[in-house]
Amino acid sequence: MSRFFFLVKEALTNLRRNALVVAGAVLAVFISLSLAFGALVVNEVLRVNTIAWQDGVHVIAFLNDEGTAGVPPGSHQTLIGAVETWDEVERVDYYDKNDAWIEYQQIFEGQDDLLDIDPTILPASVRIELVEIEFHQSVQFRLEQQTPVVRQVNTAAEEIEQLENLSSVLNVLGLGMAIVLGMSAVVLIANTIRLAIYARRDEVAVMKLVGASNWFIRVPFLLEGMIEGMLGAALAVFTVWLGSSRLAEATQSFALFRLDVANQFFFRWGLLFLLFGAAAGVIGSLLGLSRYLRDAEGVGEDVPAGV
Amino acid sequence: MIRLENVTKVYEGGTIAANDVTLEIQKGEFVFLVGASGSGKSTLIRLMLRDEPVTRGRIWVAGKDITTLPKWKIPYLRRSVGTVFQDYKLLPNKTVSENVAFALEVLGRPSSAIKPQVEQVLDLVGLSDKGDRYPRQLSGGEQQRVSVARAFVNRPPIMLCDEPTGNLDPKTSVGIMKLLDRINRTGTTIVMATHDHAIVDAMKRRVVALEEGLVTRDELAAGYEQRVPE
Repeated sequence: MSRFFFLVKEALTNLRRNALVVAGAVLAVFISLSLAFGALVVNEVLRVNTIAWQDGVHVIAFLNDEGTAGVPPGSHQTLIGAVETWDEVERVDYYDKNDAWIEYQQIFEGQDDLLDIDPTILPASVRIELVEIEFHQSVQFRLEQQTPVVRQVNTAAEEIEQLENLSSVLNVLGLGMAIVLGMSAVVLIANTIRLAIYARRDEVAVMKLVGASNWFIRVPFLLEGMIEGMLGAALAVFTVWLGSSRLAEATQSFALFRLDVANQFFFRWGLLFLLFGAAAGVIGSLLGLSRYLRDAEGVGEDVPAGV
Repeated sequence: MIRLENVTKVYEGGTIAANDVTLEIQKGEFVFLVGASGSGKSTLIRLMLRDEPVTRGRIWVAGKDITTLPKWKIPYLRRSVGTVFQDYKLLPNKTVSENVAFALEVLGRPSSAIKPQVEQVLDLVGLSDKGDRYPRQLSGGEQQRVSVARAFVNRPPIMLCDEPTGNLDPKTSVGIMKLLDRINRTGTTIVMATHDHAIVDAMKRRVVALEEGLVTRDELAAGYEQRVPE
């Protein structure tokens, strides 16, 4: 146990005494993981916005007034009852003529010339939210069969579908970028830590000289790499979170595109990135050390020097 | 304590650093390996430390055949052999005390046992007031004393010294030799490679002379140069 504490103490002391080299390694982790994490956040923003676009009303069916030709009283409710049973439909809201007038007034508030109409000309309507956006054609078709109750069917589904397709492409791109940047992060981190160990190769040789086993030498370096990786990752997560939340705050009024990302996302992925940083640090240290532990059986000087 | 049997070492490129060397060193002996640069002194030290594998022959250190020692067992050999080098080989980021203590840490000694042992050995080498200094804050002689302290702190039965006075002025060299002599008197076997005539002549110990990897002289209570018969 005392040996374990010694090795941990060794790692912490080395971090403190090699501050400049450590700062370099942490910076490398920070930069590469910031890019990777940033790509992941962009990906999440796209995902959230796609879902937001998919939410809400997909299909509106304007209805003929009850009591007019072929539309007996109660036929609106009958239609709603029928639509609610359709598998493709998630939710149905009914807007009677009165609701339509209220909505109209809200939309054209302050435009008196447009408000000067006979409210009775506004039709009642059913607003339908679909289970999946792809169902819009079949629902439209089924509604159009409901004559004479249904006067006209409008849908924004095609546009939404196009946006969704675009979003899928962007999602794949974002995820691909995060993966590529993540992989480059491992290489960059591993290389930086290798350089840091290269700067201390004499130290490794001296440790071997006094009889330290490979694992005794390795553990503090692995711990150092792990701490450097985690520190860099924590900084990256914090910076991206800060940047993202500030940007979301600044663009709150921008209704078309939402930039806010749930804290849960940051927590979950932040934790994963910390582990990723730690793993990259450990891998970097292992790679960096392997040469010096394999090469020299001991003192590590090139022979023959004095022969 | 140490036995070399027909040891040959040929480096890549064909340099013969040890040529069929046979040598036996008893417990508690102080042996000088002397010879010009390139004669093979340092190579013999390296071979005894398993810092280099032999090309042919066998070496026994403290009763163990180290030529067949698996790599993972080399650290155990090194823990029973103290080493002192010309360039001190101290850890630059550790203080004097930490450098000395490191040799005990690798043995897994508890910190309660390490502290008094380190204090004791620093006292022996006359550096008890410099335990908190870093190697760069010490003179060459002081750094070599730290190196000796580290080599001796776990009381190894053998100490191998490769030109320990090579970087030091004559006066400081005498100090280091007095220290090694004192350690030798505790029963520790010391093998020291050197080309310092004055030290070898003054100490009058066993001298093994090497020339191009060959042992040309092995003499007790000798000087650097061969005695000319009267």
